[in-house]
This record gives sequence, C-alpha cells and structure tokens, in this order.
Amino acid sequence: MTTAPHAADNAEVTEVDTSARCALLLLLAFAVLWLVVSGVLALVNLVQLHTPALLADCSLLTYGRTHALQETAFIYGWAANAGLAVALWILARLGGSPLRSLNWVMAGTVFWNLAIALGLVGIATGDGTSNAWLHLPRYVLPMMLVAYGTIAVPGVLAWSGRRHETAFAAQWYGVAALFLFPWIFSLAQVMLVFVPERGVLQALVAGWFVQGAWTLWLAPLALTAAYYLVPKLSGRTITSYEFAALSFWTLLFVGAWTGGRHLIGGPVPAWIPTIAVVSCALLLFHYIVVALNLRAAFSGGGSTVMKFMALGLGAYVLGGFIDAATALRSVAAFSQFTYFSTAQTQLALTGAFSMLLYGAIYFLAPRITGQPWPSVVLIRAHYAAALTGTVGLVIALAGAGWIQGHDLRDPLVSFAAIAAHVRPWLLIATAAQAILLFGNLLLAAHLVRLIAAKSAAPAAGLFRPAPAMEAPAS
Amino acid sequence: MSDQDPIDPRLEQAGASDESLLTAHEKLRGWKADDGANYRMLPLVLLFAFSGLIFYAGIYLNKYSVRYSPSAFDENAPANTGAGPAVKVDPLVLGKKNFESVCATCHQATGLGVPGIYPPLAGSEWVSGSNERLIRIVLYGLKGPVKVKGVEYGAAAMPVFGKVAGSGYNWSDEKIAATLTYVRASFGNTSPAITADQVTAIRTKEGDRKEWSQEELLKLP
Amino acid sequence: MRNGFTFFVGLFLALGLAWAGIVLGSHLQLGHLAPYFDESEGKAFPERMPGIAARGQLVYQDLGCASCHTQQVRRPDFGSDKARGWGDRQSVARDYVSQVQVQLGESRIGPDLANFGARPQAVDADRLTQYLYDQHGGMPAYRFLFETRKVTGERSAKALRAAAPAGWEIVPTPRAEALVAYLQSLTNVYEYPEARPVVPAATKEGEHK
Repeated sequence: MTTAPHAADNAEVTEVDTSARCALLLLLAFAVLWLVVSGVLALVNLVQLHTPALLADCSLLTYGRTHALQETAFIYGWAANAGLAVALWILARLGGSPLRSLNWVMAGTVFWNLAIALGLVGIATGDGTSNAWLHLPRYVLPMMLVAYGTIAVPGVLAWSGRRHETAFAAQWYGVAALFLFPWIFSLAQVMLVFVPERGVLQALVAGWFVQGAWTLWLAPLALTAAYYLVPKLSGRTITSYEFAALSFWTLLFVGAWTGGRHLIGGPVPAWIPTIAVVSCALLLFHYIVVALNLRAAFSGGGSTVMKFMALGLGAYVLGGFIDAATALRSVAAFSQFTYFSTAQTQLALTGAFSMLLYGAIYFLAPRITGQPWPSVVLIRAHYAAALTGTVGLVIALAGAGWIQGHDLRDPLVSFAAIAAHVRPWLLIATAAQAILLFGNLLLAAHLVRLIAAKSAAPAAGLFRPAPAMEAPAS
Repeated sequence: MSDQDPIDPRLEQAGASDESLLTAHEKLRGWKADDGANYRMLPLVLLFAFSGLIFYAGIYLNKYSVRYSPSAFDENAPANTGAGPAVKVDPLVLGKKNFESVCATCHQATGLGVPGIYPPLAGSEWVSGSNERLIRIVLYGLKGPVKVKGVEYGAAAMPVFGKVAGSGYNWSDEKIAATLTYVRASFGNTSPAITADQVTAIRTKEGDRKEWSQEELLKLP
Repeated sequence: MRNGFTFFVGLFLALGLAWAGIVLGSHLQLGHLAPYFDESEGKAFPERMPGIAARGQLVYQDLGCASCHTQQVRRPDFGSDKARGWGDRQSVARDYVSQVQVQLGESRIGPDLANFGARPQAVDADRLTQYLYDQHGGMPAYRFLFETRKVTGERSAKALRAAAPAGWEIVPTPRAEALVAYLQSLTNVYEYPEARPVVPAATKEGEHK
C-alpha cells in the first residue's frame, strides 16, 4: 500500500519495472543463450537421425548424448530462465511493489546457469543419468536447487505482499509454478539419483517427474504469461472467468497423475497407466476452460504479442486433446515409442511454452529497458520463423511417427526399411528445426541490440498511460 | 489512445492498466451460473462437460484398474490375477524337463532303457504298478538285482533322488511327483498321476534309510 | 492476505496426492518385490547380472542408448512385440528388480532389447562387437569404443576382422566388452506366475463383473 503512490496506478512503467531491470535482463540473456545452444544441439540431433554417421566418432556427441543435451539445455536453460523472468515480473507488477532481494536473484541466476553449463559438460563426458528430463549429473543438482530458491523466493513474496486481496488467475499460476518446482525437483533427485528406487519404480518416479515438471511448473509458467497478457493487451476481461479457478485446480490436482502415460503396456501394474488415461481425459476440462477464458487471443488484431499468444494457446489446447487421445490404450499401441510422442513433446515445448514466452518477452523487454525494440523486421521475421518452424517440425515428426507406428505393427518391416520410410519426413523436420534456430538467432541478436542501445529517450514518454479496463458487461 | 493507431510491434501498448485489470477481475469472482434474469448457457454446458468427464473417468477406472493389483499387468486381467498363491507349473511340463535332463541319460529319451543294462520304463510293471514301490525307488534308490518285464537285470543302481540323507540330487517332493507323473503318462504308459503329498507321506514315514532292494520292495503292497 | 494459507495448503495437497498415489502407492506395492525362487530350478529369478554386465549397463546409460532402444516387451496382443521375436511374454516388474539403473526407454528407433540375450535370432558376442564397430542398420558406428594398436607378438584373440593396416589390429576397449556382456545378459524368458498371459475365458469372466 505504501510503496507506490496512487497517482502512478495507471502509469504503464513504474519503479517495479525499472528496479528489476538488471536481474530480469540477466535471466533473459541466459534464457536466449541456452535457447540458441539447445537449437544447435537439436539440429545436430535431428541430422543424426537420418545420417547416423554425423559426429559418430565423437564420443561427446553421440545421438543419445545430443538428445539429452538439447533437452536439458531447453528445459533448464531456456524454459527455466525465461519462465522465471516472466513470472517474477508479472507477480511483481500484479503485486504492486518492486521485487525484493534482487541481488540474490542475480547471484542465483549466475549459479543456476553455471550449474547447467557444468551439467551439460557432464552429460557430454558420460555422467548423464539417462532419466528423461533429468539427465543432469548428480553433482550439479543440489546447487541448482539452492539457486532456484534464491530466484523464486522474491516472486512468492511479491504475491504474498500483494495490494489486492483477491489474487488474479495469472498470480495463481505463477505462484504455483515458482513454489512447486523445488519440491518436485528435490523428490525426483532423491528417488532417482541419490537413493535410487528399485526396478521399475525408477520409471514411475521419472514419469511422475516429467509430467509434474510439465503440469506443475512449465505449463503454469506459460499460463502466467497468457492469463496476464491476453486481458492486458485486449483491454477486456477474461471470458467465463468464474471457471478459471476450477480449471487451475484441475490442472494442479490431476496433472501429475498422468505420470504413467508412457508406460501403457509396460512392466508396471495395469492400474498406473489406467489412472494416467483417466487423468488425461479429466485434464480436457482444464484445456477447454483455458481456450474459453483466453479466446480474445484468437481475435487479437494487429498485435504481434497477441499473435504469439494465439499460437501458443492453440498449441497448448491442441496438445492437451492429442495427449488425451494418445493416452487411450488402443491408440497408444500404435503411437507409443514413435516419433509421434516426440511431436507431442515438441508441440508442448516449442509450440505452447516457447510461443507464449516469446510473446511475453516482446512485451516485457521494452518496459524494463525503457527502450523500444530496435527493429520491426526482426520481430516479424522471428514470428514467421517460429510459426513455420514449429508447424513444420510438429507436422513432420507426426508424419514420421504415423509411418513408424504403421511399420512397427508389421513384424515383416525391418528397422532399416522403417528408417528409409521416415527419412523424407525427418529431412523436413530438420529443415524446420533449422528455421526455428534461425528465428531464435534473430531473437538473440535483437535482444543484444536492445540491451546495447542506450538512447536518451526518456522511458516515461514511450508508454501511453493505460486505459482502465472495461467494466465487466454481464 | 484511439483504436485507429497502427500497432507498433517494437513497443506494444497495454489495453488496460494493471490496477483496473485486477479490480475488474475481482468483481468477476464468485459464482454466477444464473445471474438474475440473465440466464446463461455456457456455464451449464461446461459443468455438464466436467461431470461427463468425471463419469467417463469413473467407468474407465472401474473397468481397467484390476482392483489396483500389484501383479496384474494386463488391464483385462481378472481381478484376482497373481493375488493368490503362485500358480503351479503343469507337472507334465516340469516332469518332461526333469526326465530329459537327468533320467534320459540311462533310461533313454524313449523310455526303453538299454537292453541288459538299464531297464525300460515303457510298459514296465514297476512304473504302472504300486505307487508305494515306485515312489520309494525314486526317493531312496534301488540296489541289487531286479526283474523288469520278465528280464533279469543283474546289478541295478538307481540313484537316490529324494531330499534324504545320502542323496546326490535332493529333488523336492514336487519335482519327484512331476517326474513320475510324466513317466506314468508317457512311452505308452497310462497310469494315474502321483501327487507331491503322496511323496511327502512316504518320505516322512521312512525317514533316512539306505537304498531298497527288490525283495524289500516286493513285500510292500 | 485472504486465501493465502488455504492456497498453499491446496498447492501442497495437489503435489502430495499425486506423489502419494503414483510414487508412494507403487512403492508400497512393488518396493519389496523379491526375486522369484523356483523350487524345480533351485535358483532365483531374475538372475543376478555378472559384474562385467553391470559395468556395461553404465556404458549403456552414459551413451544414452535408451534414447533409441526400449527395454520393455509388451504383451503378445499389444503391438507386434512378440511377432518381431522380442519376447514371448510381457515384461513384468520383477524382471527389473536386480537392475541398478532401469532403462525402459521411450522410443523405438531401434529394436527392443529387453530379451536381447535370449532371442531366437540371437547375435553372438563377436558379431555384436562387429556391429558396434561398423554401422549396422540405422545404428551409427561406435568407433571410439575400440582402439587401433600395433600387433606385438601374436594377434589378440579379440581383434576384429576389420580392415586394419598391416601390423596393426583393432581391439574392443573394456567399455565395449562390458557393453556387449551387458546386452548378452539381457533376458526376459523366465515364466513368472504374474507374467502368464491372461486366458481369454478369464477375460470374459472379468467383463461380466
């Protein structure tokens, strides 16, 4: 109540933004750096799929290792840094007061990224753990946990010290993501790496962790951005807002139960995949409500941020429906273990998560730097590259998965024949990945230019005072 | 602030201030399925969809959870799969395996033995006859002359198979029963099966002892 | 701070329930799963891995083989796992109790390996070593698992029949030997009581309930 005077209530840029400039830019710079690194590794990885000889003599970069490296760089490098930056910023703005202990945030950011760099070297030299989404070697995990804490705590504090008693949907998602990840991460570390469970229980913990990290951490981080930016840009309230809370709790309570999704027909008691199937179906409610709540994004007009939001939300909801369909046992018998699962992961990560975060970054960066982005062309080109790259990648992988699933069912088709059949699709996927990487390089270059530009234009004049939101009309 | 402004992607302007955004949504909180006379379909449809999903989930869970059994890996399995005592192996399968790995060395895979040295099992009165004698021979072995199918075998040396003192094989009662059952149902023999309980009974009755001779066995029923 | 406390309790419950249900629940069911002692065979299954195979499992893990190969056979009527000769029965939890790091895998870019050592079309150790050296099928060559060295005295018995310059030979490193031993040790054959396929008659009975 005391920090910000009421006169500044409708000012678009306040001390909340300017004070967090360094910390958030550091997070974003690391995020974009890892995004590019992961893009390069993903490209190598995809080329290795259709040309196995590439780098085969380099033990640091076998297919298995580039796969682990690109996944780790994407999730813990890009997604974590960018998601944290956006969530911290939104929680601070909605909380109404500047973030606290920002020096700790910066120290934490440095250590978090140091740990990732160390971890990637560790994976390349053979210390990887071969657990999906948790390939990182054991020696960097405790450091990451501590670093995460120092980054996330100011966000939770911003929420608990908020000026409005009733929290807004974006705040629920943000706080849930910031608060829940350390628990999931530490439980998974202990049960998979430090005191490993016995036998197939490892696979169950890993499944729970992957689904938990998506539904309790990354998806909420992306939704924080979506629930804030869509009403903020459109100037209209969220439709059917009364269902947002039910949808939020559905995601949280049901999400991690989908952990057995990839173990259908596997060596685990039948009830575990059954629960996963059921949970995937229940989650449909969450996806339907998200689509309804944020449908303003799909009629966004000329705003580029809104276009990113629309793409991301479209991918998110589509992904939810595809997950529910492929979780069914009769479909899983066909799609399991194929590139189709890879396509689903890409739809969620590059389709939904990255798109929503790109949009948030384009909105956020000018406000914390007090500068407009230097180039319209670069933004448009990035959008075009992200759109074509993601669509191409997901469709090509799904096509490859379709053929692979079909071929795998026929015991007479050899693996060499399958590789030949899917090769054209993998080539398309490689091209799409190259386009994505190109787009992300543009983003990186653009961000560097934005940070480097030190124009004298006063920040205050750049932003129009935002109008008041329309009163909810029935 | 007019809506006709072209949107500059380098610097997107907000459509609403944070303060008004929070205030506006604060007012929207609360349940408004039926807002006065303003009756709205959407909330009802959503609730209906949610209930439908829960209903479907319940049915599916009930049908394919196999009562949360830890040992049912097939969702179509009957609820008691693996829950009871371990399912017994077919004695004929186990017996065949044992016979082929051990007994066939002397009695041959055909059960015909080797004339003059190893007596046959096919059509043998010892195999098809008294359970009491047959089980004792395998449990404790047989030494000395024996007459099979009218042919005299001078110095039989059937080894000790049972879990008794001096045994080189230490076969369990189940294993002996399965092997005998197999022998009694193969090579043209058609005698009834022998159960592990019968073997156990004889083994507990006799305790530890030396190999049988033909005379001792013939005194038994 | 309205709802603050309830909100965090809700978050904890959301996390805790799923964890308790999936992780803790299955831990209680399977955590003490023991090898199955077979009276007639006189030993317990699954058999323990030889030491060299256990070292090979670490090689399998750190090279990331699991990103292309699964180690889980699905039941005969589910996919073509049986028809491809990967195993006659479905893999069950007990198959993995003695493995340090379970590598179920999520992708079948290459064939399933759960039963690699006992498949009808089994590959012997020499040929497997050769596969790792050459590019076999879609699998890249793993040349860094081999060393080229000068023949001193007699040629090594382990040397590959690959074309090496005269006076030189190509031999597998201990890592390659361990990996081969590990792959050869993978079997999925023993018929556990819980691994028997469900009899169709029993299925019908289940449906009536």
